[in-house]
Amino acid sequence: MNEKKIIEPKGETVATGEENVETKKIVQLKNVAKSFDGEIILDHINLDVYEKEFITLLGPSGCGKTTTLRIIAGFVTPDTGDVLFEDERINDLPPHKRHVNTVFQKYALFPHLNVYENIAFALRLKKVSEEEIYERVEEMLAMVNLRGFEKKDVNLLSGGQQQRVAIARALINKPKVLLLDEPLGALDLKLRKDMQNELKNIQRKTGITFVYVTHDQEEALSMSDTVVVMADGKIQQIGSPTDIYNEPENAFVADFIGESNIIDGVMLDDYKVRFSGHEFVCLDKGFDKNESVDVVVRPEDVDVVPLDKGMLTGIVTSVTFKGVHYEIIVSIKDFKWMIQSTDYVEVGQEIGVYVEPDAIHIMKKSEYSNMFGDYSSFSDELEHLSDANEEEE
Amino acid sequence: MTKKKFNWRTLCIILTFIFLYMPIGVLIFFSFNESDSTAVFSGFSLRWYKELFTDTATLNALKNTLILAVLSSIISTIIGTAAAYGISKMKNKYLKNATMSATQIPMINPEIVTGISMMLLFVFVANVLKISSFNGFWTVLIAHITFNLPYVILLVLPKFKEMDKSLPEAALDLGCTPFQSFFKVELPAIMPGIVAGFIMAFTLSIDDFVISYFTTGSGFETLPIRIYSMTKKRVTPDMYALSTLIFVTILVLLLISNFTSGKNKIELSKKAKKVMKIIGGSVFGMIGITTIVVLCISATTEVKTVNVYNWGEYISDGGYDTIDVNREFEEWAENYYKEKGKKVKVQVNYTTYASNEDLYSKIANGAGGYDIIVPSDYMLEKMQKEGLLQPLDLEKIPNCKFINSQFDGMFLYDNTYKNDSDKIVVEKDNKKTYGIAYTYGIIGIIYNSSQITEEQAPKAYERIESGEAGWELLFGEPIPDKDGKYQYDKDGKMIVDTTYLEELKGQILQFNNPRDAFGAAMYYLDIDVNNPTEDDWKAVYGLLATQKDYVQGYVMDEIYNKMEKGEAWIAAYYAGDCLSMMSESADDVELGFYYPKNKDGKPQTNVFADAMCIPASANQDNLELAHMYINFMLEPEIAYANAEYIYYGCPYDYTNIFDYLVFDENNELVLDENGLPVFDMELYEKNLAYVEVYRENLGEDYDIIYNADFENDLLNPNKLRDMFDKFAYKDLTNSYMEGTDVSNLDMLNESWEQLKVASTSMVGIYVTCLVIALAIVAYIVYVQIKKRKQRRLYWANTPTPKAKPKDEPSPDLSATAVIAIEKAKKRDKDSQK
Repeated sequence: MNEKKIIEPKGETVATGEENVETKKIVQLKNVAKSFDGEIILDHINLDVYEKEFITLLGPSGCGKTTTLRIIAGFVTPDTGDVLFEDERINDLPPHKRHVNTVFQKYALFPHLNVYENIAFALRLKKVSEEEIYERVEEMLAMVNLRGFEKKDVNLLSGGQQQRVAIARALINKPKVLLLDEPLGALDLKLRKDMQNELKNIQRKTGITFVYVTHDQEEALSMSDTVVVMADGKIQQIGSPTDIYNEPENAFVADFIGESNIIDGVMLDDYKVRFSGHEFVCLDKGFDKNESVDVVVRPEDVDVVPLDKGMLTGIVTSVTFKGVHYEIIVSIKDFKWMIQSTDYVEVGQEIGVYVEPDAIHIMKKSEYSNMFGDYSSFSDELEHLSDANEEEE
Repeated sequence: MTKKKFNWRTLCIILTFIFLYMPIGVLIFFSFNESDSTAVFSGFSLRWYKELFTDTATLNALKNTLILAVLSSIISTIIGTAAAYGISKMKNKYLKNATMSATQIPMINPEIVTGISMMLLFVFVANVLKISSFNGFWTVLIAHITFNLPYVILLVLPKFKEMDKSLPEAALDLGCTPFQSFFKVELPAIMPGIVAGFIMAFTLSIDDFVISYFTTGSGFETLPIRIYSMTKKRVTPDMYALSTLIFVTILVLLLISNFTSGKNKIELSKKAKKVMKIIGGSVFGMIGITTIVVLCISATTEVKTVNVYNWGEYISDGGYDTIDVNREFEEWAENYYKEKGKKVKVQVNYTTYASNEDLYSKIANGAGGYDIIVPSDYMLEKMQKEGLLQPLDLEKIPNCKFINSQFDGMFLYDNTYKNDSDKIVVEKDNKKTYGIAYTYGIIGIIYNSSQITEEQAPKAYERIESGEAGWELLFGEPIPDKDGKYQYDKDGKMIVDTTYLEELKGQILQFNNPRDAFGAAMYYLDIDVNNPTEDDWKAVYGLLATQKDYVQGYVMDEIYNKMEKGEAWIAAYYAGDCLSMMSESADDVELGFYYPKNKDGKPQTNVFADAMCIPASANQDNLELAHMYINFMLEPEIAYANAEYIYYGCPYDYTNIFDYLVFDENNELVLDENGLPVFDMELYEKNLAYVEVYRENLGEDYDIIYNADFENDLLNPNKLRDMFDKFAYKDLTNSYMEGTDVSNLDMLNESWEQLKVASTSMVGIYVTCLVIALAIVAYIVYVQIKKRKQRRLYWANTPTPKAKPKDEPSPDLSATAVIAIEKAKKRDKDSQK
């Protein structure tokens, strides 16, 4: 824990990812820490949220992403550190005085109110005139495609419809920042995809900053301007989706975002790395000579070639048909690689493997080295099980 | 196949419904009965509903019950919801569980414990604050809130738990202050739980008897207490009407609440809400207005109250076109004060009890503030001995001269009182009167003359016809040995001639209380009921044990039904009640009555008298009115109204001309010009007219009530007093044998228990319990064995992960697993061999 392996925030570089993101910071977390009952939930994190950006906090359950969100919302007070909102310290400001609104994981719609009253709730508290309330509620209903649902009992709506009501209810206050806590977690796959698009559209239309919490990496990559990968109460990497995918900072990020083969390697020189008993050309530099490193190779970047043309050779141990491609597990020097290929190979067959220089990504060794990236114990079932556990949280 | 299954299920449902609704159905059915018989339905009528709305005491009790229920349920709902909120927000899990258990314990606590502890608390508080007992409305209210609370918490707490934890957060998020969040979001979200809690509290409060009974004091009576206290006489059918109304009301409430909570009935629920609002508003309005009116009235006039604690159904109360004695007294007393130039509002707070023992526990425990109580003779004596009563000021009760001379000096005792340190002081040779007789009665035997006929029971029939019948019809005639001693079999049963018993087998009813049951046997065997010897106890037990084989049942109130319907042939009961049964019997049932005597014509039965007394704890300010009340009860009009209503004997005699002598201020006889005393002839003639009317109204029953000893009119000679002195029960606290601590009362209870326990039905109950217990044990054993079989393979072979202490290295699980697998393999091999 004492190891200061935190990746420094790279606020300025984020702006390079998307052109419509301005560089004005709206929310800043400075050195924020939080622990419950002696268990460290957040370990001194620093995070900047920029205006009009769609930022996603991504990580497995228990990584502290929801706590971060709740600190911004005001439901949790940090033990140390500062929370700044438009450069003002708001640590002690109660939730109802903050210019942020939240969409809760289970929607938290008020069961005793109908759709209209749920959405109008915040305005009624502000004693806005009935006419204006009507106008704004209708506007919101139009935005979330729920026109005509005004009198419906919220308890009788489907999950997707409830979600829309929750979004409309949170947005009617015109908050500067909208916090979304795994809002699509309870929806089925198809509906989730639709809602992802809709959320993104709403964010573009309104220009409101979205801080989105999820454990679903695909969701994070497809929706966000900026992704913050968190684990063990620390921020592992901040960056645009492509950066995060292509240039993972460490073994944890590489494994968590997509599939990765992570192999021990030695950096022989700039642009030269050795792993699996073979010397490869790569695009990375700036490491010490003979420094041991983690090498990431994405399964889709590995080509299956005839034995004699392979840089490495291995024996196929399993083949699974996945629709677009086959998922092939190959044992190379006792290390199980995953390869995604459209070519069919037989189990037990010896094949050659070819890796392009740009498919190789070199990372410094971290506390997560040797924990991920080997597919020897890989099984679809296990992955599903762990997913289910996360969703329960 | 499916059809069969379907039938089976419907049958189950129908059976359940019969179990649940049969009793209520019978009650509703009989509430429309024309006569007050519970045996025969003689025609549809709304008579009892009409009767109900003229019964002021019951309506008053109903009003009390409703006010109490509304207030206690509202207050307990508010406090309970607050408590549930607090508990649900607790962070410390252990503290939370502890608090929850602590709040639930009173619910499991037996009601009787709660009731007694609350009563003690209130008495204690009154003592500490040095104020007179304040038991009454407020104490009952506090008690009701107390026992309602756990139920409200139990029903509301789960709603808080069920509620989405982020709901209050969402409210805060949208701009609510924590305060607004609670009232605008959390409260509405848990509303179903609150409503359920409220309804539960409301019904519990209406329903409660035990706790109200112990915590109430003078002047405040709830409906259950009133109904219960009617059991000395019997529950009147207007109670069926009332119960029907209550049941229907609650049914309607339930339907409304089900309708409103139905998710798809939004439109209707709004209407229903409006209706509920109107009803709620008007109830509150009415309560408010009544309070204001009462306060205004009490502010302008002085109020004098007298708190009367009497048996249920033991005063003429205005029902059945009779005089409402208490209202009459209020009017009379107000006029009395008016003539003296004082404007006073007089109030009789009339409450009731069901048994002497109930009365005793109330008074002895210091609860109350009662000014007049009406214990039976033996209880009066016991209470007097314990200093619980105060002597009466007979000068303030001039009408006491009308008391039948047989009762003269009957309640005269050495002055006994408690001094400051609660020690009992007895002033010997300083006798004072402690009670004025209210009613008296004799136990007689009622029989069914349409069943005990020459054909069906010739011997018994003959015996009754001879006019010399006594207890032998119920007990048989003991067969003594040659020394004249009773004989017993090995079980201690007395050997008797069972001629009559065989004829009447299964048709005899016996008292279901030890005092009267053993009393009957003692009177029969000419044993002094107050001083039985060891042999006497053995004899009466033997007699009752023998009788048991021939008895249909041990009953109290059920006797009305059984005799009226002709389900039993013969029983002993209080004379007045026997007369009621005779007049209420079904068309094809003819009932007869006689007083048991021995062969010499000597009466063999118990006489009891109930008397009006003033407890030592009575409020000093009310003493004047209390004496006035007692005096008023001796007015002939009132006394006879009560006597006609209660149907027991009236202990007053208005026919003695010497009671009408006129005295002057110096208590000297007024003489006429001839030197002869002057009589108030006007009053004498007026009173004689009342006596005449009373006799006429009673008709033939008059003889039965007053001529217990067929040869002599008991109104004049000292026969009755003789019976009292010789036969009436005393308090039985004397020791039954010299040199022992065991009192006759202990003997009585012990013998009673022995008698009841040895019953075959009890054996049946034990056997049933045993069978059920064995079945449960067998089932548990079976399940355990089955489980063990199923687990046999994996349970022993898989190590159970245990919580590891922090610093210790964890044991190598894989190593243990290997060992376990080895073992399993070995076992398998062994089993193959």
